[in-house]
This record gives sequence, C-alpha cells and structure tokens, in this order.
Amino acid sequence: MRRPPSMDSSGCRRSRKRHNRVDPTRLTIGEVQQLLRDGETSAQELLSLHLDRIGSADEDVKAFLRLTEPLAAEQARAADKAIKAGKAGPLTGIPMAVKDVLCVRGVETTAGSQILRGFKPPYTGTAVQRLFDAGVVMLGVTNCDEFAMGSSTENSSYFPTRNPWNLDRVPGGSSGGSAASVAAGEAMFALGSDTGGSIRQPAALCGVVGMKPTYGRVSRYGLIAFASSLDQIGPFTRSVEDCALVLETMAGHDPLDSTCADRPNDVRKGLDDGVAKMRLGVPREYFGVEGMEHGVKTAIEKALLVLQSAGAELVDVSLPHTDYGLAAYYIIAPAECSSNLARFDGVKYGMSEQDAQNITDAYMRTRRLGFGPEVRRRVMLGTYALSSGYYDAYYLKAQKVRTLIKRDFDEAFRQCDAIVSATSPTVAFPLGSRTQDPLSMYLCDVLTLGGNLAGLPGVSVPCGMSAGLPVGLQVLAPQWREDIALRVARAYEVASGMRVEAALV
Amino acid sequence: MLARIGLEAGEEDFYAEQLSGILGHIDRLQQVNTDAILPTAQVVEIAATLREDEPRPCLTQEEALANAPAAVDGFFRVPSIQEEA
Repeated sequence: MRRPPSMDSSGCRRSRKRHNRVDPTRLTIGEVQQLLRDGETSAQELLSLHLDRIGSADEDVKAFLRLTEPLAAEQARAADKAIKAGKAGPLTGIPMAVKDVLCVRGVETTAGSQILRGFKPPYTGTAVQRLFDAGVVMLGVTNCDEFAMGSSTENSSYFPTRNPWNLDRVPGGSSGGSAASVAAGEAMFALGSDTGGSIRQPAALCGVVGMKPTYGRVSRYGLIAFASSLDQIGPFTRSVEDCALVLETMAGHDPLDSTCADRPNDVRKGLDDGVAKMRLGVPREYFGVEGMEHGVKTAIEKALLVLQSAGAELVDVSLPHTDYGLAAYYIIAPAECSSNLARFDGVKYGMSEQDAQNITDAYMRTRRLGFGPEVRRRVMLGTYALSSGYYDAYYLKAQKVRTLIKRDFDEAFRQCDAIVSATSPTVAFPLGSRTQDPLSMYLCDVLTLGGNLAGLPGVSVPCGMSAGLPVGLQVLAPQWREDIALRVARAYEVASGMRVEAALV
Repeated sequence: MLARIGLEAGEEDFYAEQLSGILGHIDRLQQVNTDAILPTAQVVEIAATLREDEPRPCLTQEEALANAPAAVDGFFRVPSIQEEA
C-alpha cells in the first residue's frame, strides 16, 4: 500500500484532465492545496468526494459516529469563496474529522459515552475554532473509547471501529475513529486527544502520522477532560508536513486555558533540515518491554538504520524507571479522571435518572446506567487512590515516581537530541482479544505514556509493516521541541521514501 | 459509594477481582525508593496567570439550561437534597 513518492505524487503536481487525475482522497493536504489553487478541484467537490468515500467505506470501518453535513456544506461554500477571492490559506477547504471529545457548538459531542447522549455544547473549543478560522471543513465526529479510556476503541459505548488495513483488527485507541478515518481516505486529517498514547498508538496501528504536542502547547479549552495534567489535543495526518501545519494552526497561547503557554509558535522551524549530526537516543528498556513483538522490533531496527544512513548518530540511552511508568500512570490518570468525571451527575446535561428517592440515589443510578465498565473501573480506582488512608501509599507515591520518570528523560536528553523507539510493542491486534483483561490492554501504552507523564512532544510516523500490518516509529523530544520531533520524523519519511496511502483502495 | 456509581451484588465481585489484579501491578511502586523525592503534579513550568476580575460575555440562562435533563423556572431541577422532616 505504500509506494515511493515518485510513483504516486507525480499526478498531483502536474495538471491533469479531470477524468484521469488521481483521487484526492488519497493525497496529502499540501498536494490537495495545490489542486485547489490551480482550480483543479474545489472545496465543495472535495467535500462530496469525501462524503462518497465515507459512504462506501464507513459501513466496514465505522470510524464516524455522526456526520455534520450542513456545517460542512456551509464551510465548503465559504472556503470556495475565499479561494476565488485569493484569500485562501494552507488549510482552506480541507476536510477534517473530529474526535468525539472536542466540543463544537451545536454538534452532539458525547465522549463515546451514553451519559452524554444528546449533549450539544453551547461553545466551540479553541483548537477546533482556530482550524475553522483557517477555513477547514468539518466532516463529522469520530468514534473513540468512552471518555478516551482505552487502547482499541472497543470501549466506545456505540460500536467498535475497525482497522482499515484488516477489518478483524482494532484501530488502536482511544482516538481509533480519527486514525481509521485518515487511513481509510475518509478525511484528509483528523483531531484526537492523547493522555497516555491515544493519538500515537492508533496512528501507529493504522499507518498514519499522529502527534501529541508538549503539555501546554495546544489549548484544552473545549476538550472533555479525562486526566487534566496529561491530556493534549493533536493531529492525525498522512504526512509529517501536514502534521506540522495542522499543529501550528492549533497551537499557541489561549487565555481560556491557564496551562496553555505563551511561547513562540515555532513547531515548523527547520522541518526540512534533516538529521545530519543529530544524536538520536535509543532507550534500551524500550526494546525489552513486555509483549514486544519480534516483527515490530525488526521494523524499528531497520528504521534506525535509515536514520543513521541519513546522517544521524545513534546513542544508547537508559530510562531506568520504565518498569514503573505504567503503575504510576494507572494511579495518576484514574485519580484525575475520578475527579473530572464527578461533573456527570445527571443534573446539568446528558443522561439523568430522576426517578430517585433523593439526590444521592439519583447520582448512583445515573452513573450506573451512563458509564461503561472501563470508566467505572477507573473512577473506582481513582477514588480509592485518593481516599484518606490510601492517598500517601498510592497517589503521592505515584507523583513521586512521576518525578523520577521525568528525571530519566531529562538525563537522557543530556546525551541526545531526540529519543526514538517503537510507538506500540505490537501491531493491530484482533478485535476482542484484550477486552477481558484490562491489564493487557493497559500494556499497549507502555512506550507512549512516559511522554505524557513527562509532558514531552511525541510523534508516530509509519515505518513499514509486520505481518501485513503497519508499524509506527515514535520520536520523543524535550519539552517545547516539537520542531526536533517533527524534523526527525520528516527526515525518516524522506529518507525511507515511505508514503502513507489510504489503506482501502 | 464514594465514587457514586451504583453497583449490583454480582458486579461488586467482578470489579473487586479486576481491580485487585490492577492494584497487584501497581504495588510495584512500593519497590521504588522515593525518600527525598518531591511529587510532580504538573510537568510544565508555567506561572499562575491572573486577570482583572471584570465581567465578560457568558452563556445566557437559556443556553446554560439548554442541555438540562429537567429545568423549572430557569433553574436546574433535582430530586430532594434533604430528607423530609
């Protein structure tokens, strides 16, 4: 499914007659933008091509929960007007899918949960609003694990999404619908959220590019909160350039999120500068984690050789507290979620069981009916970890281990510019194979959650196949150095000649 | 009870078993020596930002209640909070 650029991209650079030109649903944003500027296509035509693609593919893939056709039509008309007036930007008219955790005014947003069924936000979150302002066209809302808790999208209260590369496999999660929509050619890019790997892992499993920015790079205003000290919004795209472009558009200070930093928006700096003389850290612990598949390891080793041939120096580094990351994460994330999810009480929005003796009874009934098993597990676990008597042993202890994990990264970054590893220890696994054992599902995130605990930017870029399924290469960089992570990923993309193709042809 | 999630008898055993398994893994945290280590609650150094306490545009009462399962006279309606005397 992946071919060298010379085989595929020629058709979009040259103007061709309509009847035999390449299908825009398989191109990158940069390529389609050229077609738009040349008048070879229009935003409205792009929209209808993508709706057709969704119509033919989504019955199998099930990436979307709901489409927003009237909004999309209005945005596409406005985009065409801007293009005609010569006022188009690099994202004008580009069709986007949005994970069901990002509030869009008037568009039902439910975090994959029954408890928010019917909820229509009265406002649009900052990240989405900035993309709307840049002329993007919103196709619809994508499926995810309930409240972004999961690694396979099987915890959605609606239905599981399937991996476009193999419909019997999961797309990863929690942002599985977003990843699958981009892989299947249903959207040109998509938004997700990443608390422990929920963008990078599904990007790896679906063979697309996905990035979690530095904590504080993108405003979380309008993101339904899971774990507030770990959550970040980020893009899924078909190229590293597209990823940098979407991130740059969303990023930057927002007075509506006090943790969103006021810093230069320099994420695209030196994108094409290559990796010559860069030192790339290879953490030995990340190659020996539980459940690491041989095929994944081989693909990553090959990718490291490609980077080496491109001029990078590979350095052995150590992250000695890797074995404790999962344990610390599964105290901190549930603790924060148990507090954040207290707002779902059946009073202000969503599901409500009013037929109760008193308000406590109403809370108990509403939350029993509204929350699925994984959310219940995490709320109970987090409530337990925060309760008096266990607070020091669990929550405080986990926060101290978090300090040590962050120090591991600080120490490693003294020896290297970026850290490279697999994104996921496995390729996409069969639907249903991990749902009975929560811990086996949690292990999916063992290579990504360190980046959240330490607040680092991380990107996953496709790096070949194992057993017919995509493998992702993860690049982690120091805080605020998205430019380095993207530059390494871009250098890999160029040196390997890999090209993300829509999986269903 | 503290989590405010009603469970039925069979479910209690189901979750107790699963959560015990997860806590079994989490117990490895106790192996780490964290004497003299400060806890991290927030990883990025950002100064607390303050703004003038001035009124700004906000949701109308109608917008704020638009998603309410039950509203009466411009208020959210809830079951009784206190038992009747």
